Amino acid sequence: MPRTLAEELRARPDEGLAELLRARPDLLHPVPSDLTQLSTRLSTRASVVRALERLDQFTLQTAEALAVAPDACSYATLLDLLTGTVPDHDTPAGDTADQDTPVQAVTAALPGALAALRAQALVWGGADQLRLVRTARDVLAPTNGAPGPTGLGPTYAEATSASSGGGAPLSPGRLQEILADAGLPATHDPVSAVAALAALFQDRPRATALLAGAPPGVKDVLRRLMWGPPYGASPPRPVRAADARTPVEWLQARGILLPAGRENVVLPREVALHLRGGRAHRAVEPLPPAVTAAAVHDPGQTDRTAAAQAFTAVRTVEEVLDLWSTEAPGVLRTGGLGVRELRRTAVALERTEQEAAFWLELAYGAGLLAADGETAERWAPTPLFDEWLRQPVPERWLLLVRSWLASTRVSALVGSRDAKDKVLAALGNDLDRPVAPELRQAVLELLAGLPAGSAADPAALREHLRWRSPLRGASLRDRLVDWTLPEAEQLGLTGRGALAGHARRLLDGGDPLPVLAPLLPEPLDHVILQPDLTAIAPGPLHTALAQTLAVAADIESKGGATVYRFTPASVRRALDAGRSADELHAFLARHSRTPVPQPLSYLVDDVARRHGVLRVGAASSYLRCDDDSLLNELLADRRAVQLRLRRLAPTVLAAQVDPGTLLTQLRAMGFAPAAESAEGDVLIARTDALRTPPRSAPVPVTDGPPAVPEGLLAAAVKAVRAGDRAATAVQPASAPTDAPPAPAALPRTTAAETLAALQAATLIGDRVWIGYVNADGAASQRVVEPKQVGGGFVTAYDHLREEVRTFSLHRITGVAELTRDAAAGS
Amino acid sequence: MSDGPLIVQSDKTLLLETAHPLADECRRVIAPFAELERAPEHVHTYRVTPLGLWNARAAGHDAEQVVDALVTYSRYPVPHALLVDVADTMARYGRLTLSKHPVHGLVLTSTDRPVLEEVLRSKKIVPLVGARLDPDTVAVHPSERGQIKQVLLKLGWPAEDLAGYVDGEAHPIELDQSGWSLRPYQQQAVEGFWHGGSGVVVLPCGAGKTLVGAAAMATAKATTLILVTNTVSARQWKHELVKRTSLTEDEIGEYSGTRKEIRPVTIATYQVMTTKRKGVYSHLEVFDSRDWGLIVYDEVHLLPAPVFKFTADLQARRRLGLTATLVREDGREGDVFSLIGPKRFDAPWKEIEAQGYIAPADCVEVRVTLTDSERLAYATAEPEERYRFCATTASKRRVTQALVEKHRGIPTLVIGQYIDQLDELGEALDAPVIKGETSNPQREKLFDAFRNGEITVLVVSKVANFSIDLPEATIAIQVSGTFGSRQEEAQRLGRVLRPKADGHTAHFYSVVARDTIDQDFAAHRQRFLAEQGYAYRIVDADDVLAGDDV
Repeated sequence: MPRTLAEELRARPDEGLAELLRARPDLLHPVPSDLTQLSTRLSTRASVVRALERLDQFTLQTAEALAVAPDACSYATLLDLLTGTVPDHDTPAGDTADQDTPVQAVTAALPGALAALRAQALVWGGADQLRLVRTARDVLAPTNGAPGPTGLGPTYAEATSASSGGGAPLSPGRLQEILADAGLPATHDPVSAVAALAALFQDRPRATALLAGAPPGVKDVLRRLMWGPPYGASPPRPVRAADARTPVEWLQARGILLPAGRENVVLPREVALHLRGGRAHRAVEPLPPAVTAAAVHDPGQTDRTAAAQAFTAVRTVEEVLDLWSTEAPGVLRTGGLGVRELRRTAVALERTEQEAAFWLELAYGAGLLAADGETAERWAPTPLFDEWLRQPVPERWLLLVRSWLASTRVSALVGSRDAKDKVLAALGNDLDRPVAPELRQAVLELLAGLPAGSAADPAALREHLRWRSPLRGASLRDRLVDWTLPEAEQLGLTGRGALAGHARRLLDGGDPLPVLAPLLPEPLDHVILQPDLTAIAPGPLHTALAQTLAVAADIESKGGATVYRFTPASVRRALDAGRSADELHAFLARHSRTPVPQPLSYLVDDVARRHGVLRVGAASSYLRCDDDSLLNELLADRRAVQLRLRRLAPTVLAAQVDPGTLLTQLRAMGFAPAAESAEGDVLIARTDALRTPPRSAPVPVTDGPPAVPEGLLAAAVKAVRAGDRAATAVQPASAPTDAPPAPAALPRTTAAETLAALQAATLIGDRVWIGYVNADGAASQRVVEPKQVGGGFVTAYDHLREEVRTFSLHRITGVAELTRDAAAGS
Repeated sequence: MSDGPLIVQSDKTLLLETAHPLADECRRVIAPFAELERAPEHVHTYRVTPLGLWNARAAGHDAEQVVDALVTYSRYPVPHALLVDVADTMARYGRLTLSKHPVHGLVLTSTDRPVLEEVLRSKKIVPLVGARLDPDTVAVHPSERGQIKQVLLKLGWPAEDLAGYVDGEAHPIELDQSGWSLRPYQQQAVEGFWHGGSGVVVLPCGAGKTLVGAAAMATAKATTLILVTNTVSARQWKHELVKRTSLTEDEIGEYSGTRKEIRPVTIATYQVMTTKRKGVYSHLEVFDSRDWGLIVYDEVHLLPAPVFKFTADLQARRRLGLTATLVREDGREGDVFSLIGPKRFDAPWKEIEAQGYIAPADCVEVRVTLTDSERLAYATAEPEERYRFCATTASKRRVTQALVEKHRGIPTLVIGQYIDQLDELGEALDAPVIKGETSNPQREKLFDAFRNGEITVLVVSKVANFSIDLPEATIAIQVSGTFGSRQEEAQRLGRVLRPKADGHTAHFYSVVARDTIDQDFAAHRQRFLAEQGYAYRIVDADDVLAGDDV
């Protein structure tokens, strides 16, 4: 018997260790130095959680059962926990009907589940001493406040001990009271008292007898708590059996409910297990739920449908990349594609934005589309796209499907919001979901498990995949399944929901192409031309033919066939692309099964007749002359080569040099050219007198103070007047003193005059004499030099205090000009 | 891979290859649910619309038949989503039914309770319904029978109207089939209509829609209100009815701008019905003046919007719509469906032509090259005048003269848009002109003379677009039109499609100025004809003027 996990590992054969490392590859980073280190690493929480996440439902339930079982329990105990000790018990769950099947199935499945747990080193020890790795036990076991997946509460020992957080330790006296009320003999110490209580509920007849005497209502309480959560919101009360009035009190008196904190009571694990008939889980799922068929179609038909869709998939990717070959949208600063660009692409493809995002992501995932890496970054097809275009359709399809299967990017997330409420952009970051490829593969494999032609019931698929890894993927798992089915349909892996023959071959690792190729429509080399100016391609066309038609006609309808419509604009487009009318006629005649309709020929001729009649080009200057022989002479002159003359009409030449150079050169060659204005007048030949565009004269810059605006001037005048009045009213003999002067001595002016006088003084930098009433109502006279007036305040240098002060305008009684003498004296 | 004649497109159009051996069989199977959109020579285009699918449901087809037809005849696998969509759409029809309850009167019943809940939550439905009688039934105000059908259709849950009809005031009407008999397709149309209760019969111009109306009246044997587009058409209906049925002149009244007669059979014009005096429709009394047993709407596709409103209140009467096309240029096909009724019968032009009931037509576009001075004048014309200018050039007159000359002695209609141009043409061709201001007696006189062969050339304005029966017209020359209206093109072509006594081909000329917007508009109209299956030839005016055989 190994005593430690490390010891057990040491005893394993090499392939056993290899299996462990295969199942838990995280242990290899970095490679552990020895087995002790490996066993330590095995027990880290992150590693254990990762391993548990990958367990299927039954294996997980086995681990959960071990987590609630006593440590080092026997195989039989574990089996009992999973199947229940009482096959036909009277539990409120009432699921006795199909009791037999799970028992058999569990008995059959348990060794496998245990082996899996052992292989992953989550369980070790011999058959009589099954030990769940400590960390796994901590993760899975119920703790106070957090009932585990089993919905079981703490054991008696845990619930009564002080150490388990939130538990309320029971006093020894209280324990003895409980023992007495439960009909148990008194014990000497708390530990044995707790053991006695626990033993009572492990003894079925005694426990049944105890509960049989319960008053009505007790069963309802137990029924509510037995499958968890085991906590009841009821403040614990240490009542005696005699005083118990409510069912909860009856249960508390007998220790069947124990206090859990101040507000709650808890049903101990032993009691719950007794009530459950010994079962740790309400429903054990030893077998995965069957994947059922929702509909069955003719396999031949579903294969053909899938193949047609495979073809469409290839064409759609081609179409979207062709579109982006000419109209490449920009890359967002945060990466990805803007919502508006996506919408535009969706409209062009005549698909929903969600579908457009799918095709774009598909192309991106297959490496056919990427950001071009320029400064103004744009999305564009890669060189691989051109290579891909040259391949036959089945091979192109295979690339798309392989990259979809392997891709962790989930296009269906586009448009949803992330945790920061940011919209996820197509081709952007944050679309990767590591679980996606596994799930896609799993869904397809499950479909492969159904008979050919059967479409699976999505609900059954979701259930099955939940069973396979209940802890992995969470809510994303179900959504991924729901997304995978339509995506597989879009890609032509399934037809009407049933996995196609070529997809089966692909999943088996075989070459799907020989199966797929015969189902794909053969490209055609002809179209049907109609008198209403449409051309109908009754199937896929050869690429070259399709490309030419797409230039010469607009696509009106897509599907199995393509309807093209010729319009004057589309024909002009073809002519612009370098085709001549004759070529177009020949092209149409060659590819039409029927005679080319007369209106179509007319359309081509009509457009061609007018196409290019007007010619546009660029020239830097022209040369015209009524004497064409002179122009001939000029054209023949070797010295004129650098002018790059070209004859536009018998009397007109175009030159690629500016008029000035042309004139100079022609003069140098001995001609006497005259310059022409835009209106055709002869320009007088003399050196141009330079002129500027209209300009205004510069504003004079003076070094004195800036000009005084009119308003201020008036204010200054007013101030002068006010100062004048003040000066004549009072003539202070000396500089003001601290002593409050007689009120009559204060200068008095109106508010407007005060303001004007102060502004004027500020401008001139003059000193003035003010009367001021301070906050206490004391009046004073000051000589100040105002620096700034505004906002109801005057900032001024106070000569009295010899400091810069701010005065409230409304407290200034008046302003007076200083007499020359006073100013000079201060 | 199967090798069917049908290709199902992702935009729900169906392409039918006509040369395929199974084409006819396939056409018959898809016709009930798919509207024929284009019928050019080689590949016909049908469109599957919700209305079409509901029409099929109303005619007793189920989704399985539709899906089966698509899957059976399709050359390529039919997209699964499309099949699902077809089944879903069809399942929406008939979930709700309107019926008569012995106690509560008109009730709306559902076989699918959530659907009823859904529609009852709609704000538009609330004012139209009364008490909830049981979880599946709700009372409907009898006066809202039309509105509720309209609203339910808009909500996507078209109701099946099983509330039946009042018989109306009985009046003996018999068909007088001496010297003629109802054609098989007319018979089928009447049966289809009568079986369905109310609805629309789609027949090409010249296929004898008036007779379908007369036969429907003879089946109903009740007082009948007939709504027609204009007075001339009203007179023609009267004329036909007197000739083809046991009705006498005195039994048929005309309710128009000039006369206000209410008789057992009354023919009213849309115009008078929609005339407002002091803001109210003053002639609605017509609807209530008698207990009508049948209401016939001629040219349903032109039914003016107010008439829809009145029709909503007439849901207890049998309604027969007659038209050449369900396509309305205002897009109110849904109102026709819910207020008049589903399509009860249709037959494509070509099929009826093949049966010899309408004359085959040869459509020719004659391209006139403008003279240099005309081109300059055209280039400098005000934008709003441009069409008028290029449509009325003198060059056209010369070509028209040449064409008339070429068919001298054969009944010819010259049709145009602009009165000045028509007057000039009338003068140049020495032919009488019928335009808006021509009085009705004068029009009648001229039409009679044309029918009798006293006049062989008639110049007409757009007044002649509709419902004028000139069976002898063999040549139509249109010199200008209403900016490329497809509707108009169909109507004008209809003028020459009546079967001819000697069975020779009708000719339909459009004289078009080259390299102008006239040609652009013509292309639009021409597309319509090509889609209807008429081979369209283009010839040069110079060839016509040179007297070449074109």
